[in-house]
Formats: sequence, structure tokens, C-alpha cells
Amino acid sequence: MTASAITRAIARIREEERPVLIAAGFVLVILIIGTAYTMLTQGTAPLLSPNYLLQQLQTGAFLGICAAGMMVVILLGHIDLSIPWTLTTAAMMATAVGGEMAIPTGIAVGLAVGLFNGFGAAVLRIPSMIFTLGVDSVLRGLMVFHTGGFAPQTDATPLMRFLASGRVLGIPSAVFVWALVSVVIAVMLSRTAFGRAIYATGSREAAAYLSGIRTRLVIIGAFVCSGVCAAIAGILLAGYATQAYQGMGNIFLLPSIAAVVLGGTHILGGRGRYIGTLVGVILIVLLNSVLSMMQMPEAVRQIIYGAVIIAMLLVYGRNSKVTF
Amino acid sequence: MPSDQPFIQLAGVTKSFQGIRALENVAFACRKGSIHAILGENGAGKSTLIKIMSGVLAADSGEMRVEGRPVRFSTPAEAAKTGIVCIFQELSLVPDLSVADNIMLADPPKRFGMIDRRRQRRRAEELLARIRCEDIDPDALVRQLSLSRRQMVEIAKALGQEPRLLILDEATSALTSRDVQTVYDLLAELKEQDVACLFISHRMHEVEALCDTLSVFRNGRHIETFAKGEKSDREIVHLMIGRDVETQFPPRPEPRRREPLLEVKNLRWENRLKGIDLSVGRGEIVGLGGLDGQGQKELLLALFGVLRQVEGTVKVGGMEGVPASPAAARSARTRIALVPEDRKTEGLMLQLPIADNLLASAFARVSSGPFIDRAKAETAISAAIEKLRIRLGSPRDIVATLSGGNQQKVVIAKWLMVEPDLILLNDPTRGIDVGTKQEIYRLMRDLAEEGKAVLFYSSDYAELIGCCDRVSVMYDGRVVAELEGEGITEEAIVAASLNIAPEAAA
Repeated sequence: MTASAITRAIARIREEERPVLIAAGFVLVILIIGTAYTMLTQGTAPLLSPNYLLQQLQTGAFLGICAAGMMVVILLGHIDLSIPWTLTTAAMMATAVGGEMAIPTGIAVGLAVGLFNGFGAAVLRIPSMIFTLGVDSVLRGLMVFHTGGFAPQTDATPLMRFLASGRVLGIPSAVFVWALVSVVIAVMLSRTAFGRAIYATGSREAAAYLSGIRTRLVIIGAFVCSGVCAAIAGILLAGYATQAYQGMGNIFLLPSIAAVVLGGTHILGGRGRYIGTLVGVILIVLLNSVLSMMQMPEAVRQIIYGAVIIAMLLVYGRNSKVTF
Repeated sequence: MPSDQPFIQLAGVTKSFQGIRALENVAFACRKGSIHAILGENGAGKSTLIKIMSGVLAADSGEMRVEGRPVRFSTPAEAAKTGIVCIFQELSLVPDLSVADNIMLADPPKRFGMIDRRRQRRRAEELLARIRCEDIDPDALVRQLSLSRRQMVEIAKALGQEPRLLILDEATSALTSRDVQTVYDLLAELKEQDVACLFISHRMHEVEALCDTLSVFRNGRHIETFAKGEKSDREIVHLMIGRDVETQFPPRPEPRRREPLLEVKNLRWENRLKGIDLSVGRGEIVGLGGLDGQGQKELLLALFGVLRQVEGTVKVGGMEGVPASPAAARSARTRIALVPEDRKTEGLMLQLPIADNLLASAFARVSSGPFIDRAKAETAISAAIEKLRIRLGSPRDIVATLSGGNQQKVVIAKWLMVEPDLILLNDPTRGIDVGTKQEIYRLMRDLAEEGKAVLFYSSDYAELIGCCDRVSVMYDGRVVAELEGEGITEEAIVAASLNIAPEAAA
């Protein structure tokens, strides 16, 4: 196929699905380039082995769960920058309480932070970019008080460890948790009144409000989704590392936003499909893994990683025209 | 002979959107010093035509000549340089900039590379004075102005670019009658200066009063161009829709006393509503008249539960008090619906599919538990599409792809899904075509006959006269006159709108 034939084929696909397919195509490209590299240097193709791929899914679960919640908020045209310390707080509280109540406590933390974020964005009408940034900082301070600035001494419960690093039928159980979160979010977005109200509110809040949609509740609900997802990721990550630790959530914030946007969700809200976010997460995880396998220096990895995100968004942008 | 050469000339222009022909092999010309009307239903291709002329869109094929020279515009700025300036139906002002900033946005006066604010302000004042809008403060933010004032700013902005071809796309639809007259005078003045004007309007009397040449478009084709007076209104409408139209308004039933569904006494809100008394009965269409901005919009919003701190007594279906929010208005025992003023920002989620827009108010009705029942949703959607005869490809298409009239039908259909008892309409026919207007009039009457109460604000007096059982005319936040039956005449409405006693006007 020539380049123009590809362009024409792309143009025929519904605009909504285009980013998903481009991202999925890029996942294949990464796998091909990585495999070519290992074939040349080692003569093997570990990238295509089931074990390697399952390992990637295991790593991707934490990011994937964060991104699922982030997507719900981005669909509203809002953003949740409190994810890193919501995640950490949930993990620390869960390990501190321990026992059977560990997981419910962690989730309750996510719920509470989500309610508070939603209250700030929907009722106080403070731009969520500022409000959640403030909440993130407050949570961080609270956790420094709680731990005295050191790594907490408490351990993750056996159930948390099992959910994070155990295996069921040879598949990491974290992948099942991710799958469960994905199904809940995907069904919620496409099949429930609340989900459709999120799209409506994100598309044009005034029109949604005048249609009788309770837009404040919708916004609060979306932030609760994000908070709870971050909490679940935190509980899993604590289980994986057997402990909660300072700054454990910091590496998830930007990748989760990137995954959502690479998956075709409009950063200003109203448009996007959950399948896109899944593909976006896989893309980011694979890209990271292949770059480290190629033994790129950290600096080069960061550059390539950023350049890929910008390049892909350019590709999406060129296809969408200004509509009147 | 240079005087005979048209200013702009198009030949064989074709344009499609995603396989749908918007314009097909169009030949068109417009002379200097002519006010040239383009008529046609929504979806006839008028908007596409002017977007191509003004550089917003590029034609797929065909050629365009300005004063005999072939041109091809890739941006509106290039078209403006040739003197082609367009006042769009969708307002193109930046709400958070000042009036002066907006007027000079394309080419602000500069001094040492910086915007010369004083000169910019002076120039804006001159332009506003030219259209008799000295009351608009050049330093005010555009968002603080009413829709009609914004439209005038838009006109001033176009004038500032010194047009040689001025295109007005429904530019008078939001104006008050005084401003409409100002625009008429301005067009006459421009005609003297040999400027060509293209005028798109759905109001036949405007076209009659202003234009010297008329062109009719239908389904993307240029049907015919003729001089004013060559054809009767009836013939023109026939050309536009390709069939004859019966009487414009459905017949009005005999007036009789009706059980009131909505009773409003001494309603007040901030300094916009100053004690309104009003009632609407079941089965009745009550019109709200008056000049633009006399509190009609606020009254409808107050009844719909959007405004805070509304004082006075409101009884809806025997229950006291206004709803607390649109959500409450939708789900109360006596349900209220509002078709808002601006369908593009308040009525529709433009980027969402038609199906989502139709269901936006009625998710609860098509759900079982938290889940949307697909079968119920599909049934409701196809019933709505059929009832309002919405012309569309697929309900999964984005609502922005529909023509203006069909978009408005989607807004109305959305609200009919909740089976409202009281229907509030804020100028629902603004900027939509004759055929759809008539369907809306018919629908209003049908709804009234089903026993619903309709409160209908319109800026078009003919609609109030043709549609309503009673008309309440508003002036400065009060109802100053209630007209009924044969008493609803243009003279009476105009007199009341200006708050002068009808005897004095007669």
C-alpha cells in the first residue's frame, strides 16, 4: 500500500475511532522494531513471548487503573492532578490499618479525596487544575506528618500482595483487577445514564444543565471515580512492593494523562472511548520497556518518549478539521 | 464595459462534505452597487456558498473571479484583503475581549509594533457611530452585551475592514427593529458607494424592502436569479421549496376560558424582572412580545429554575414556587421544558451524536436501574425522529452535521420525550427556514390541543400574531399589555412594545 492509499483508508474510518487505530498500529510498530533489535543483537525474540507480554500487562495494571479514572475526569474537560498523593495516601492508610479493613480503608480514602475534589470543582467552581494540585500538596503534607517523613514501617496484607503479584491460571492477578476496573468504567461510560451524562456535560455544560442533567453531581461522581481508581492502584502497588513508600505515585501522573490523550480522548472533554485509553496504556508501557531493553540512556529515553507523544498528537490533530 | 462586469463571479463551483453534495455546479454573479438576496431553505447551500466566497472553505472544483481576475482564497484574511467581508450567522466575536479589541481584531492600529489603544478606541467609536450605536461602550466586554448589541458590534467589525463585497448571513435575525432600520440605511449608503452586498435572510419582507436582485437556491443548486418584483411571494416560495405551501399558520381555535396551569404574580428578579403578572392555561399558546431584552429571556429562565433569588408567587399546576433547577423542572409533577435562546450553546451538545442529544433529558425514561435499555432507547429515538420529521443520515452522526432547522427540531424533540406539561420556547424559529418554521407552528398547535400549555417568546411579530391565543407584551421587566384574539395586531404589539398607549399609536 502506498502512503496515499493509507491516508485515504484512514480518512474513511470514523473520526472517533481513528486515534485508537493509529495508537494500536503504533503498538505493533514498537513490537516489530523491538523484535528486530533483539533478533539482530541476540538472535531471539523475547518480546513476543507470552511471559514478556504478561509481565508488561502486570506493569501496565497500575498505570491502567490510574488512567481509567483519569479518563472519566478528562471527559468532563477537567483534570485530576491529585492522583499521585491520593494513590500514596490510600496505600499508606491501607497498610497502616492492616488486616481485613486494609483494602476498604484505602478505597474510602480515594472516595473521600474524590468527593472533596468534586466539591471544589463543581460547587466552589475552582478550576480543577488548581484545586486538585492543592489537594495533592495537602495530602503530601499529611502523609509526611503521618510517617514523620520516613518510609512507613507497616506491611501490606497478604490479600494485597496476592492481588498485586499473585497469579491465577498463570496470569497475574493484577491483570484481573485491571480488567474488572476496565469493564466497570467501560460499561459505565457507554451503557449508563451517568456515563452519557458525563459526555453531555463535558461536551457543553450549559446545554447539559438546561437539559435537566444534574451537572454538579456528574462532576462530583467523576472525581470520585478518579479518586477510587487511584486508591485501587495504590493498594495494588503497596501489595506489589510489600510496603507503601513516599512518592510511590509520582511516576503515574503524566503517563496516565498521556495514555488518555493518546487513546483519543479530547483533552477539552466530551469525546473519547475507553478502548482508546487501554491502547494508550499499552503503548506507553511497551514504549518504556522496549527503550530500556535497547539500553538507551535515561536521557534519550525521556526525549524519545516525549517526542512520540507529541508526534502522535500531531497525527491526530491533522485529521480533524475546524467544524462550523 | 467595466461597469457591467460583476464584482464576483463563480462558475461550475462544486463542494461536498463526506459524500453529501452541498453545492453542485453553481454559477453565480453579483454586481457592484447591488443588494442581492440569496434565498433558500436551510440546507440549500447558501451558507456553503458564502463560506467559499469568503475563504472559509475551499471549493472542490470550479472557479471564482473577482473583477474578472481568477482568485483562490485559502483563508478568510485573504478574502478580506480583496474586500470580501462576511458577517456570519454564528457570531464570531471573542466574548472576553472588549468591543474595541473585537472590532479591530483582524488588523489593529499599531505604534512601535504595539497596539495603539487610543487610536483603536477612536476608530471603534467612529464605526459604532456610523451604525448609530453610540450607546455601546468600546471598552465593555462583548460578553456583557445582549445578543442584538453583539450583532451590531459584528457589523461594525465588518465595516472596519472596508468591504467591497459585504455578505450578511441572517445578520438581522437577532436585531431589534430600530437596529434593523439602521442596517437598512447602512446598506443603502453602501450601495451608493458601489459596494456589493449579499443578503441572506429568512424574512421575506426584509428582502422585499432591501434587495434589487434575488437568487434562489435549492438542494445545492442555483435555481434562478431575477430582479425584484418579477415574481410574487408565492412564486418565490414555490421556487425555494419546490412545492406549494398552504396557509402559513395553523387555524386558531375559538377563544374560551381555560383552566390556568401557570400563574405568575408580581415576579421579580434583580433589576431585570420588575413584577410580572401572567397566566397560561392548558391548551393555550401565550406569546411574549416586546423589544429584545425587556426581560423575556429572564422570565423563561426564572420559570425553568435557572435563576436564583426569584421573588413573587408562581403557581405551576397548583403547586406553589418555581423549580429549584432545570433537573427539578424536568421531573416535577407538572413537568416544564425550555427550548433555549441559543441552540448551538444552550440547546445542543454540538459534538455529540444526535441520539445522545435526543436522550439528554430522558435518560431516566429509557433506563432500567442504572443501565440504559438499548431497545427502549432506540424506540424512543426513532419515535422522536419520526414525530418531528428530522432529516438525518444516522442517529449516530454528530448533531453539528444537521442543518439549523433540523438542529432545532432535535432540541424540541429532546424535550417532548419527557412529555412536558408546560413548554417554554425562546425564539425557536430564529434563523431557520420557512418549511421548518411551519412545521414548528403546526407542532405548537398540536401540543396545545393535547392540553399542554405553551409560553412562546418570538422576536417576529408575524409569528405572535399568527400563532398565539394571547400575547403579553413586555417592556422594561413588566407586562405592559395583554392582547387577545382579534386584538393581536401588529399595531397593537408595536405600540405596546414601545410602551405607548394604543390610542396614541392609532
